This record gives sequence, structure tokens and C-alpha cells, in this order.
Amino acid sequence: MIAEEHLDREALELAEALQPIHHPPHSFFRKYLWSLDHKVIAKQYLWSGLIFLLVGGTLAMVIRWQWAFPGRAVPVLGPVFFRDSGGAVGPAQYMQVFTMHGLIMIFFAITPILIGAFGNYCIPLLIGARDMAFPWLNALSYWVFALSLCLVIGSFLGELGAAGAGWTTYPPLSTNVGTPGSGQTLMVAAVFVTGVSSIMGGINYVTTVIRLRAPGMTYFRMPLTVWGLFLTAVLNVLFVPVLGSAALLLLLDRTLGTQFYLAGAATQGGGDPILFQHLFWIFGHPEVYILILPAWGIVGDLLAYFSRKPANWYRGSVLSMVAVTVLSAVVYGHHMFMTGINPLLGQGFMVLTLIISIPAELLFLNWLRTIWKGSMRLTTPMLFALGMVFVFGLGGLTGLYLGAVAPDFYLHDTMFVVGHFHFTMAAASFLASFAGLYFWFPKMFGRSMSEPLGKTHFWVTVVGITLVFGGQLLAGYSGQHRRLYDPFVYQYLQPLRALNRYTSYAAFILFLGQLAFIWNFFHSLVRGPKAEANPWQVGTLEWSIPSPPPMHNFDHLPVVRRGPHELSSPEVRARLGRDWIGQAEVLPDAHDVPKTAPARG
Amino acid sequence: MNAFLLAAGPLGVGLPLDASKEGWRIDEMINVTSLFVLLIFAIMIVWMAWSIFGHGPKHEAVHDHGERRSSWLWTVAVAGLIFVVVDGDLLVRTLVAVNRIYWNFDWAEQQPNAVRVEINAHQWAWAVRYAGPDGVFNTADDVVTLNEVVLPKDAPALFQVASTDVLHSFNVPNMRMKVDAVPGTINRMWFTPALVGDYEIGCAQHCGANHYKMQGMVHVVEPAEFRQWLAAASANSRQGFDPQDGAAHWGWDWAEHTRAR
Amino acid sequence: MTAPGVLLYRPPHARDEATARVGMLLFLGSWAMMFAGLFFALGVVRWRSPMWPPEEVGPLPVGWAALNTVLLVGSSLLLEMALRSVRSGRLGRMTAALGAALAVGVAFVASQVGLFVRMADLGLRWDAGAFGGAVFGLCGFHALHAAVGLVGLAAVLLAAGRGALQPGRHLRLRLWTQYWHFVGVVWLILFPAVFAGGRGG
Repeated sequence: MIAEEHLDREALELAEALQPIHHPPHSFFRKYLWSLDHKVIAKQYLWSGLIFLLVGGTLAMVIRWQWAFPGRAVPVLGPVFFRDSGGAVGPAQYMQVFTMHGLIMIFFAITPILIGAFGNYCIPLLIGARDMAFPWLNALSYWVFALSLCLVIGSFLGELGAAGAGWTTYPPLSTNVGTPGSGQTLMVAAVFVTGVSSIMGGINYVTTVIRLRAPGMTYFRMPLTVWGLFLTAVLNVLFVPVLGSAALLLLLDRTLGTQFYLAGAATQGGGDPILFQHLFWIFGHPEVYILILPAWGIVGDLLAYFSRKPANWYRGSVLSMVAVTVLSAVVYGHHMFMTGINPLLGQGFMVLTLIISIPAELLFLNWLRTIWKGSMRLTTPMLFALGMVFVFGLGGLTGLYLGAVAPDFYLHDTMFVVGHFHFTMAAASFLASFAGLYFWFPKMFGRSMSEPLGKTHFWVTVVGITLVFGGQLLAGYSGQHRRLYDPFVYQYLQPLRALNRYTSYAAFILFLGQLAFIWNFFHSLVRGPKAEANPWQVGTLEWSIPSPPPMHNFDHLPVVRRGPHELSSPEVRARLGRDWIGQAEVLPDAHDVPKTAPARG
Repeated sequence: MNAFLLAAGPLGVGLPLDASKEGWRIDEMINVTSLFVLLIFAIMIVWMAWSIFGHGPKHEAVHDHGERRSSWLWTVAVAGLIFVVVDGDLLVRTLVAVNRIYWNFDWAEQQPNAVRVEINAHQWAWAVRYAGPDGVFNTADDVVTLNEVVLPKDAPALFQVASTDVLHSFNVPNMRMKVDAVPGTINRMWFTPALVGDYEIGCAQHCGANHYKMQGMVHVVEPAEFRQWLAAASANSRQGFDPQDGAAHWGWDWAEHTRAR
Repeated sequence: MTAPGVLLYRPPHARDEATARVGMLLFLGSWAMMFAGLFFALGVVRWRSPMWPPEEVGPLPVGWAALNTVLLVGSSLLLEMALRSVRSGRLGRMTAALGAALAVGVAFVASQVGLFVRMADLGLRWDAGAFGGAVFGLCGFHALHAAVGLVGLAAVLLAAGRGALQPGRHLRLRLWTQYWHFVGVVWLILFPAVFAGGRGG
């Protein structure tokens, strides 16, 4: 064992030399505004994301109001925002509402929370590093993001209103021929700028995972959370630039009069609107995996922790996530089945789309097997993780219909598609985000949240989500199309008035139910009971340091000896008297354990 | 008239009436997949419930990483089974349906009683054109309507769809068919109406503020009635034909767009 | 960072450099994907166009573009020479090669601008048809990248003048050389994609 200790020490010395401990800053500017500390930057992303989550959610409520009570004045918001139409939403504003709802939720709510906040907070801590590889770039990436937020806000203020071409921004509607005005232009610019921020973040995350893992932290000992964030960052680096190219060409069309996307008799253009769709979806399909991979990672870990047993077939889960990452770009054509693409191409995309469901199924089965024969603790984070499994299972299954061309003839552009992506993308990502927030709150803020309020929040949210997005699936199955200001203009949709109204009621309750979270979160922030270092009794590295951690995270960089899910190991129970052991903890030899070791855990 | 709905279930949920000859394949695919999905979903719920209630805090956790081959082979086998059965069923049915029917324009073009319709979508209405008795588009005897498509029962109806301004999508839910209208291109679709009646056309691609009002109607009538209507309408067109009105001659040569992409 | 059987000793700053190189690789990877998107667009425009270059434009100045290609490749070679020189300790030679590379690089960008003016004179317009937009957009975007590279190389030259570049410590030269090679490779793809072949269905 002497040789091992010698190697440990050498590796440690080299690691410590690479990550020296710096003095913490003193000025307000360096502590809170331009902080190089990944934990502070994570919180900057978190506050921004939560604020825009509220904005995006409010926009959703306006949509649901309009479908429940078409043409009726919107309460509270109506007199302020829809004055010109007597407080009710008009058709032109309606398209701005659904456009901004989609763009804000995807780029300015989930992305900063799941990737900006959790990525920044968790990656260094979970791999045993003191900070990101490029702290300066990290700080810059937040402020570039903040710039994009200014552009979003600015886009609401133009004379001709906000962007209104749908979050997918298809030309020619999104060109200045279809949607003139600064609103649409600023929004496309905002997406471009936030893309730059995502790429910067992606470069940082990938480099950090490759270069700054603690000694002994092999790739296959990293928590699944880190794998999810790592693969997301790879996709960000590779595919957000393609969105950048699509957006750049659109901006050129809008500002310099080029004609990449304009075509048709009315516009006399020589371009191709479908070109945008190709570029957009080459980004867009990996984007949905960007938004779900961290969620998969977080849930994979939490299910293990709170079943008190190792994650089932960890390697298989990692390989599945990698497979999905690799395949993500070659399935994008399933968004374009109805555009008149070559039938061979269409069928090729269909086959690949069905194939990409296999790794997702493997991952799902691993989750189910993880919770089987465990010792389940239904804490709030665990409830949200289980909720995520539920909604993702449901949502994933509905993807089958849409991946095949023939059912898509009927289902394309209906609310069925909307229900599908809300379950898989919105519900699953947000439930995982809440799971992560409840889980890491003690570490981030040194205080505990209220479990009863958390459980209340969980039930309202998961039931609400199921009713609202289930209602969307049912409406789409019955033929209701997307983006309709007033669906009941169509005779065949008249019978869906009641369904839409009930779905809207569920949505209003879902929205109000988030108050439980808001209260719990902010109240606990200032008044919650102090949290211990390891309240959940798990072995990953962040729980081996104080809550909250000092700026330099680890006084001494850890030497990792095992994987992240060593729970309920008989050996550990025998020698340490508990069902968990830290990743860097030294397990005493059998003869070293005193006979009177106190039982713990 | 509620010809639109197939015995609508509670809350109006249910597939709209299928008034086409070929749409049943789509309905069958949706329904068979739904059976599989419900079965899988039920198993998932039971599994989760058992894990939550049966293997709770009092149960002792089994320290199994699941890394043994016997363990993960099981996982792979189940995933494979689902893929082969559910995905496989969808795949096979779709490949047959798409190649034999829905994208098999050659067959439809060869039917002697096929009706050809050109659709020019624009914000926010559907311009519809029939070739008239001379069988050539963009001539004096063309029948042009706005938002009204008249079709004979039991004859394949072929559509070539274009757009003048932004993306639209020509959609007839009761025929289970849609295709995007892309400026600068001409896309095709076809179906065979099987039931006499009126069926709504909707736009299935966001095209601006009045996207929701871009409605039309397909009137399916008996073949004799169709011939009468076409003859009368064509005679009217010939009378009202104005060779100087360039904008009215938006039709195009049908045959140029029947070659495969 | 694990502790395998044997650990090779490398000084701390070398490990920092490895980190910077990984970051640079990812950075260039993302720019490569952005150009890939633009190339995709160019490809679609070229494929859909019945004639290349389109009728109203006439033959493109391929010779001039070829000359610029030679300039760009030349500057990359000069930078490689600078790298080799600094590794073997010949700092004077390094500075000379670096300066020459910069000069040739500036000549490239200037000549590109001239090429654009010539193409505009020939009737190529960025606001009429997708072709003009694609050519000017792609080539212009590339020229912007080259310009940024020139700024970076100028900063490296200043550092060289200060004596900051040493045989074991010349990370910034290495990184900007990688960047400049990237600019060159993009042009080597762009040149045939826009200027080669064509004239006839």
C-alpha cells in the first residue's frame, strides 16, 4: 500500500499546483457582480432563470385564458398590456404571446437554470475541483447572457410589437417581409447572443471535466449529473453554432436585404425557406437533448441516493447518454416530414428517429431497476425525481407516433406535438430542476427548505402537469391545431371547448401552486434552519465539505477511491456502521475497526 | 351538421370522421400504437408503485450495481423487445403506407377519373384552380374558387400546393392528409374522398395574425353532380376570362411537377 | 489526472497549457460548426441554382482568388516556421517569420477586399438572389475571422518583441497559429465551393 500512497501524494501535489487557492475578493463588485467563483456565477444564472421562468409561465397563462374564454378580457394583465383591444388578447398579440412563451422558456428559463446554474455549481464540486478551467470566461459568459436578456426585453418595446413568428422562427414569416419591425430582429439577435454565451459555457464545462477531475476521479466514477452536463456541453459547443449560422443569415435577410430565405411570387426572392428549417433543426434536435441530458443525469443520481442503492448498470446509462448525444443530429428531419422533402430522406430520418428511442429506453429501464428492491426514502428531491420518470415515460411514448411518417400526416402541427414536447422537454426538465434545487439547496445556501411545503409543491405540480399536458395530447389527438388564436372557428373543434376550459383551470392551479415553491425557497433562504454538511447522507464529493462551501471548495483536493453510488454496501456497513461512504473516504481495513464502533445512518 | 365527428367521446375527444378511402391506415397505426403505449405505461405505473410502497424505508436495499452480464442483458432484451414489437410495427406499417399509398403519386396520376386541383395559398386564404374541360391549367376554361374545393366521391383527388408569400400548410383533417405550402416550391398530396359531405380545410403552419381564420371547405359530392358543377363553373369562367389580368393567371403547368424529387 | 502506474513529470505551467489547448480545440470546433452551417447554406444555394455562377454574374475572378489562397497558405507556413524556430531557441528567426506571416496575412485580407470590389463590379450583389448573399456572406465572414486573427498575431508579435516568448513558454504563439491554420483550412474549403467548377447546368 506504500506505492499507492506515494502515487496519491504525487497526483495530489500536481493537482494542487494546477489549482492554487486564491484569496477571496472583498469588493462588492468582485464578490457579486464580476465574480470568478463558479458558485456565485451559478446563482446569477439561477436568479435570472427563475425570473424569466415566471415571465414565460405568465405568458402561458395568457394562452390558456384565451382558449378557455376566447375574446374575454384577461384579468390583471389585460388593462396593462392589451389596452388597445379592450383588455382581451388580439390575434396579432396572441402570436407574440406564444412566440415569446416558447423562446423565453427554452433559452431564458430552462437553459440558465438547468445548464447555467446546475452546470456551474455542480461540475467543479462533483469532480473535486476548485473552480472551472476558465473562470474569467465563465464570468463573461454570464454577462453575455445578461446582454441577451436586455435584447429580449428590448424586443417587447418596438412599435410593431414583439417577435411573432413562433419560437421556431420559420421564414418567410420571420423575415421583414412577414414580420417587420425591431421586435423580431431584436429577438433573433437575442437568441444569437445567448447562443454565444452557451458556447462559452460549453467550452468551459467540457474543458473542466476533461482537465480538472480530482486524482482517482476516472470518467466512470463521475456522478451521472456530471455526465449529463458534460454531454450537454459537447452538444452546445457543436450545435449552437449551427443555430448561429441560421440566425445570422436571417439577420442578414432582415437588415441587409440578402435573400437567403425569401422566395415566392409575392417577395420575388431567390432563396429557400426550407434551408432555414434544415439549419434550425440540425441545431433544434440536439437542443432538445441539450435540455434533457442534465435532467437525466440528475435523476439517475437521485434515484440511486434515495433508494439507498447503486444506480443500476451505471455504464449502460453512460453509454446510452453518449449514444443519444451522437445520434441527436441525424434524426432532425422528423420535424420536416410535411415540407415536401425527398421520400427516401424522410424514411431514412424515420428509421433513425425510431432507433434513437433505444438508448432512451435503456436509460429508463435502468431507472426502474434502480428503484427496485431499494430502501426508498420519499424526500422532496426523490418525489420530484420519480415525477420526472413518470412524465418522461409518458412523454417519450407519445414520441413514437410522431417519429413515424404516416401518423404524422394527421398529427403534425396539432396539440399532440405540443403535449409531447411539453411532457418530455418542459415537464421533465423542470421537475428535474426542482429536484436538483431541493437537493442542492442546503449545500448552496447552508440552510434547509421545508419538507411539507416541498411535498405540497410536488403534488400540485405533478398533478397539474399531467392534467394540463395530458389535455394538450387529447386535444391534438382530436384534431386541434397549434397556434390557433381561436380554435373554435372550426366546426369540428367546437366540441373541444370544455376540454380546453378544464385544461386551463388545471393550468391556473399549476401556476398558483408554484407559490409554494417561491415562498419555501425565499423564506428558507433567509430563515431556514442551518443545514449540515451532508443532510442527505450520500457520498459524492460536494457533501464532504461545509454547507455552503468556502470559495476554494476543498481545503485539500480529494483522492477519489470509488464511484458515486456506493450505498448499502455490506462491507461499508460492517466497518463503518452506515449505508453510505464518501467517494474519497478511506475505508479502514477490517482489523482496524474498533469493536465498539457506533452505529450511524 | 356534425358530419365531422366520429362518435366523439367524453369532452369531445376522439378522432374526427375519416371520410377518405386511405385514412384508415393512419387511424389503425395510431390505435395499435396506443394499445402498446397504454400497456407499457400501465406496467411502468405498477412497477413504480411496487417500488415505492413495497420497497420503502423498512425494506433493506440490495447492493447490486447491475453490472453483471446476466443483469444488463435482461435490460437490453426488454428494450430490444419493445423496439422490435412497437417501433417495428410502426415502421413496417408506415413504410408500406407511405410507399404504396400516401407518397405514391404515380399511381394516383394514372387513375382515369383522377381530379387535379392546384392550390395557391396566401395570407390568409386558399385560391383553388381546376383545369376545366380542356385539361390544361391556366387557360380560359379554368375554374377558380376561393376557399372552396369541390370533389367527386370515389375519385382520387390530386393536389399541387404552392404559396405566394409565407409558409402555409394545406390540411384536411377528415381526410387525414396535409402538406406544407412552401414559397418557391410546389408540393403534392392526394387522397380519395369516400363519403359525401362537407369537410373543413385548415392551415397547419403558422402564417401570421389570421392563421386561425384561414379556413376552407371541401365539398364531396356524387360524380354526376361534380361534372355538372364543373361544366357550369367552367362556362362562367370562359365568359369572364380577361387575358390582360396577369394576377388571375396564377396557375402552372401540372406535368412539370409530377416528376419525383 | 488519475494516478496510473507511472506519472510523467511536467511543470505546472505545462498542465495549464494543456488546459488552454483543450479549450482552443473546442473553440475552433464550435467555429467550424458555424462555418459548416454556412457551407450547408452555400451548398443548398449552389445545388438549386440551374447555372453556377448564375447567368447575370458572368465568370468569377478565379485567378485572383487562387492568388489569395497562395498568400494565406504562405502565411500559415511562415507561422509554422516561427513555431519551429522558437522551439529550437532561434528567437530572432521566430520574430522575423512571425512578422513576415503577419505582413502576408495583411496582404491576404487587403487582397480579399479587392476581390470583393471586383466581384461587385462584375454584377454580384448581395441583395439580389441568394447567390450574391451566399458568396459575400461566407467570404466576408471568413475575412472577418482573418482580421481577428491578424489582431491576435499582432499582439503575439508585440509579445515577441518584448522577449516574452521562450522555447518552453510560447503558448500564445501556439494558440494563434492554430487559429490562423483554422482560418486557412476554412478558406481551402471555401475557395473550391465558391470559385471552382460551374458554368453549365
